Amino acid sequence: MAYQTSDIRKGLKVEMDGHPYVVADFQFVKPGKGQAFTRTRLKSLLTGQVIERSFRSGETLDEADIADANMQYLYQDGDGYHFMNLESYDQVAIQPSSLGDAAQWLVEQMHVQVLFYKSRPVNIDVPNFVELEITYCEPGVRGNTATGTTKQATLSTGATVQVPLFINQGEWIRIDTRTGQYVERVKK
Amino acid sequence: MTPDGLRARALVLRALRRWFDANGYLEVPTPVLVPSPALEEHLHPVRADGGFLRTSPEFALKKALASGLGRVVEIGPCFRDREIGPWHAREFTMCEWYRVGAGLAEGMDEVEELIGVAASALGVARPAPIPRRSVREVFEATCSVDLARAAPDDISGRDEPWDDAFFRRWVTDVEPKLGTTFLFDWPASQAALARVRSDGVWPVAERFEVYVNGIELANAFLELTDPAELRRRFAESNAARAAAGEEPHPVDLDLVAAVRRMPRTTGVALGVDRLVAVLMGWSAITAP
Repeated sequence: MAYQTSDIRKGLKVEMDGHPYVVADFQFVKPGKGQAFTRTRLKSLLTGQVIERSFRSGETLDEADIADANMQYLYQDGDGYHFMNLESYDQVAIQPSSLGDAAQWLVEQMHVQVLFYKSRPVNIDVPNFVELEITYCEPGVRGNTATGTTKQATLSTGATVQVPLFINQGEWIRIDTRTGQYVERVKK
Repeated sequence: MTPDGLRARALVLRALRRWFDANGYLEVPTPVLVPSPALEEHLHPVRADGGFLRTSPEFALKKALASGLGRVVEIGPCFRDREIGPWHAREFTMCEWYRVGAGLAEGMDEVEELIGVAASALGVARPAPIPRRSVREVFEATCSVDLARAAPDDISGRDEPWDDAFFRRWVTDVEPKLGTTFLFDWPASQAALARVRSDGVWPVAERFEVYVNGIELANAFLELTDPAELRRRFAESNAARAAAGEEPHPVDLDLVAAVRRMPRTTGVALGVDRLVAVLMGWSAITAP
């Protein structure tokens, strides 16, 4: 399917030069003596790189062969990270290179959105917030709730985050996966 | 429009009219419903009962000039179809004036003065003195491309018509970095109704535009007065329209006959709604 420039919206997924992109931003522009264009910022669905392209009115854009699936994370082995489709029960393995930073938040049974490009899994979206156990950090300083001072903690997945001084090993914390930052301590 | 937005427009309209009156311009109301809507290939008129709503008062004002009126101005509604976005509206207010005997430098002086007049009327700071740069110089500085020698592929990385390549690169890489500036000496293929001369390296259209805070506010021509060349440009535009699957525009033969009697003149068309919006710091052509 081909899109017209008038179809361009934020979030539209298009294919250009053999590469899938999502429209991050767009604007109608028309120089006084020139043709109308739609100026866009496109984010690569494979690498996250942002490029700028302008499309003249009348030009068409190809739809990217992109699909999303709700999947559950199962386990990791030498073949990669394994996920199961929650509707079809099909399983796929995704290479660490496709997961990027998301891999550090994965715990078994977690539900994620897997992005398929031309039927190949290329990226995942983990939940915005995850709760993980601290497997190592320096002992807590009781009563020290001063903000701005932090220490490093290692989580059950191997990820490291900065946490406040009063947090202890063995406690569970909530993390914002979009920023990789500590949000709060949670009771388990 | 909000009441504050309408008040801002009213202040600017009153200040512009006072300035034109004080500077010897006669305000001439010309028809909004016209038989021939525009020369430029990329202007799409709104159709109205067998005719068109004007895309600018250009043709009618030139006929007035040819009749010997001297300095003339018109401030009124114009219409351009297929232009809708934060900085475009199908119906907008144009201020268009013709200064007999003047060249482009005097036109730039007037535009700069008028922007100051509008700023004072609104009680906002006047822009600093506006730099005057050629299109070729700006393109070279921004994209390291010499327009006088570049093929389309050098400009946009595509095999496409030269003007398509120019505007694709323009809207993507040049326009977002322009800020506030006059731009003169445009590619000859974008002359519209301006004269063409050679600057010694390549042929250029004797036109200028002004951008304020990245928004195009006005366009000016050293006016073409050669009837044969005008006829040729109408034919060229209509051929381009036909090639693009668009209907040809009726040729305004009265205009062709009139330009011969036009004195040397610089004409400027300024978008009043944009002028107000830019000076007020709005993020679109209408008030927030």
